[in-house]
Amino acid sequence: MRRAAQYGMLAGGIAAVVTLGVVCTVTVRQGSEARVAHPDAYPVTAGISGCGRGWSDPAAGTQTFDVTNTSIAGMEVYLESVASGDVYLDLEALGAGSTTRGRAIIPAGRYRFVCLPADEDPIAGPTVTVTGVRRVADATPGIPPVTENDLIPASKQYGAWIESRLPVLQADVDALADDVASGDLGKAKADWLTGHLEYESLGAAYGAFGDADEAINGMPASGRTALDDPGLTGFHKLEALLWSGAPAAEIAPFADRLSADVAGLRANFPNVRIDPLDIGLRAHEILENALQFELTGAADAGSHTNLATVDANLNGSAEALAPLRGILKPRYPQLAKTEASIAAAQQLVESYRAADGTWTPLQSLTTAQREALDARIDATVELLAPVAAICDVRRAAS
Amino acid sequence: MSPQRGADAERPAAGLGRRGFLHGLVGAGVAAPLAAAAAVAPAAATPASAPSSSTSSPPGTPASTPSADAPAYPFHGAHQAGILTPAQRNGTFVAFDLTASSRAELTELMKTITERARFLTAGGLPAEVGIAAPPPDSGVLGPRVPSDGLTVTVSLGASVFDDRYGLAGLKPHRLRTMEDFPNDALDRAACDGDVLLQLCAHHPDTITHALRDIAKATRGGMQVRWRKDGFVSPPRPSGTPRNLMGFKDGTSSPALAEPSAPDRLVWTHAGGPEPRWVEGGSYHVVRVIRMLVEFWDRVSLHEQENMIGRRRDSGAPLTGTREHDDPRYETDPTGDVIQMDAHIRLANNRSPQQAEQQMLRRSYNYDSGVDTNGNLDNGLVFACFNQDLERQFVTVQKRLIDEPLADYISPTGGGYFFALPGVRHQADWFASGLLA
Repeated sequence: MRRAAQYGMLAGGIAAVVTLGVVCTVTVRQGSEARVAHPDAYPVTAGISGCGRGWSDPAAGTQTFDVTNTSIAGMEVYLESVASGDVYLDLEALGAGSTTRGRAIIPAGRYRFVCLPADEDPIAGPTVTVTGVRRVADATPGIPPVTENDLIPASKQYGAWIESRLPVLQADVDALADDVASGDLGKAKADWLTGHLEYESLGAAYGAFGDADEAINGMPASGRTALDDPGLTGFHKLEALLWSGAPAAEIAPFADRLSADVAGLRANFPNVRIDPLDIGLRAHEILENALQFELTGAADAGSHTNLATVDANLNGSAEALAPLRGILKPRYPQLAKTEASIAAAQQLVESYRAADGTWTPLQSLTTAQREALDARIDATVELLAPVAAICDVRRAAS
Repeated sequence: MSPQRGADAERPAAGLGRRGFLHGLVGAGVAAPLAAAAAVAPAAATPASAPSSSTSSPPGTPASTPSADAPAYPFHGAHQAGILTPAQRNGTFVAFDLTASSRAELTELMKTITERARFLTAGGLPAEVGIAAPPPDSGVLGPRVPSDGLTVTVSLGASVFDDRYGLAGLKPHRLRTMEDFPNDALDRAACDGDVLLQLCAHHPDTITHALRDIAKATRGGMQVRWRKDGFVSPPRPSGTPRNLMGFKDGTSSPALAEPSAPDRLVWTHAGGPEPRWVEGGSYHVVRVIRMLVEFWDRVSLHEQENMIGRRRDSGAPLTGTREHDDPRYETDPTGDVIQMDAHIRLANNRSPQQAEQQMLRRSYNYDSGVDTNGNLDNGLVFACFNQDLERQFVTVQKRLIDEPLADYISPTGGGYFFALPGVRHQADWFASGLLA
């Protein structure tokens, strides 16, 4: 299960902010000009005392460390630039007494290890001067870690946007229920699509809305179809019924149930939040979901509107990315390219929407068209992947 | 087939009708995969653990069991590795369609493939990206990527030379979309493609790793169209490896028999109708040939050996004793021993005229699951390299049309490609002569 599913929607208020501690910096003078041969790996200690001991006389280039947690509790270890605080290496979840290997490729400069014991303040190790060239090939990018504090405004902004869309979603599914109640199944199909696309733009990928998502947009159980799965409710059940020519009376209970489930999501939403851990993941998981279920046609229960869904998913990706722009701008050189890639993908997908609003079925695309579309989405999701890594919540180093 | 079978048309016998029926209905395929086509006995097989593009070791010869730190085959050179390179135990053939939207993007794509192939074939430590991205390497081969004898051979299909990239005037003269031969059952979704990657290595995880790496680096520029994985069997018990019909396959490699042979049989040269950039490349034919192994296993040994023209156990021509014995057709002019339509005789009658038609074969067995009837999908990824597609592969293939063996095989996929000239140095890149 992806982490998004676990963290998707947590009840309660904003999590406590990481307490910042006093940092003790010890600068060690480099004693000798004499170069010692680099060991295969520097044995480095990470403890309450002696953080970062063992790294000496380094020259620019690849640094390999065997870092041992000498404390009695879990530890996280950063390698950071003293001047900028940019982090080049993050060894997470280092158990007491354990040793793990890490590498960084760094140019000349002043660096130090920072040891972050679980539940205790960070401890900065001695400053170490790396000598040699100012530029190295394939250098490891150093960026400031993103903290929960950094992410809270972004997650609030994203949550507020979702909340603002829920009334629209409610109106869409209510209209759908009304259509079915009145027996206008043609209009019901159109309103089904409007509502489904609204929902698909909200970024509910990989269970981000938990049980509510299962009820609203669940997929049939293994070995079942949306039509014959007795446990299935929501958009895909309605899709299967509407497009298989089921009578209105059979559809109506499911349409009413969807209205009620959306109302439940809406009622619950102000009490929950988008977890800051989750928002970075959301940016690429929406499209991972689209690749797995829409561009394969797997989620199609008869409407052949996978391309419309992909379009909505691209909207959703852009909306998830937007609140992170300020965080990403100094940390992700490919941000502009990523945004351009989303836009280009959207333009390509929307070329399959006719003037009357109907969408070309995925199944009607030629091999070359499918390949071009898959390639565009693949490239986009590859560009989005670093967003989740960068926005992984980390502790401040000081 | 027995000599009597040659008279099928005039004198159908019980049991033959069925095969004739299958033949007509299924259109069982033809290919030149099976037996030797050599006028010159090959040099003794040499282990492939030494990095070399030596011409002394037939490509069908499997690498001796390599250690994890087997030295790398050189990436840079006038010709690509993976052609004269002795066949590594594992190979995959992956055809891509280009999605690059311009010649500039295609150039960028070729540079990216070059950069990844250069790293992967040499091995080494992957990049370190700290906290700025997911790990760039899949980790499938551990923290330090071993070269493991990996070769990455890049070939282009005829479709690259359509109007998309302005390359129409630069197409290798002989390159075209693979035709349907009379007994083919080609699935076009498993044929052709703009770019073919032939990845070969001593171990299958190395190939999986390389393909994932290259695919990740090239997303947006190309999409997988079809793929077939294969393996080279170890010698059983000695000599040339066997195919899945149980016969030694690739006994001789005339294209490697002497140092000058590749220049006559493998490498395409610029000049005449060929554009300048093709110098040092090679026409690369891939034919995915299903073997109807259940049917084959119900055929008598005598009939099997007559169809091939060799002993199954020893690999010797029926006129000889040992695998590498010359078939001496001059002593068997009317086909009393090796039938006139035996596979090895049709493929190469050892006449001086047919010597120039010999190609460099570099095939892989495949074992890919089952068909809808529960029959095993076994076969051969027949691959060969040709100086001149028409003079060599196509000419031989046409001679094999309706050979008796055709009833037991069914070509389903593959294509014609042109293996690019080598990447000559650190600053060079694949297809630089075509695109620069």
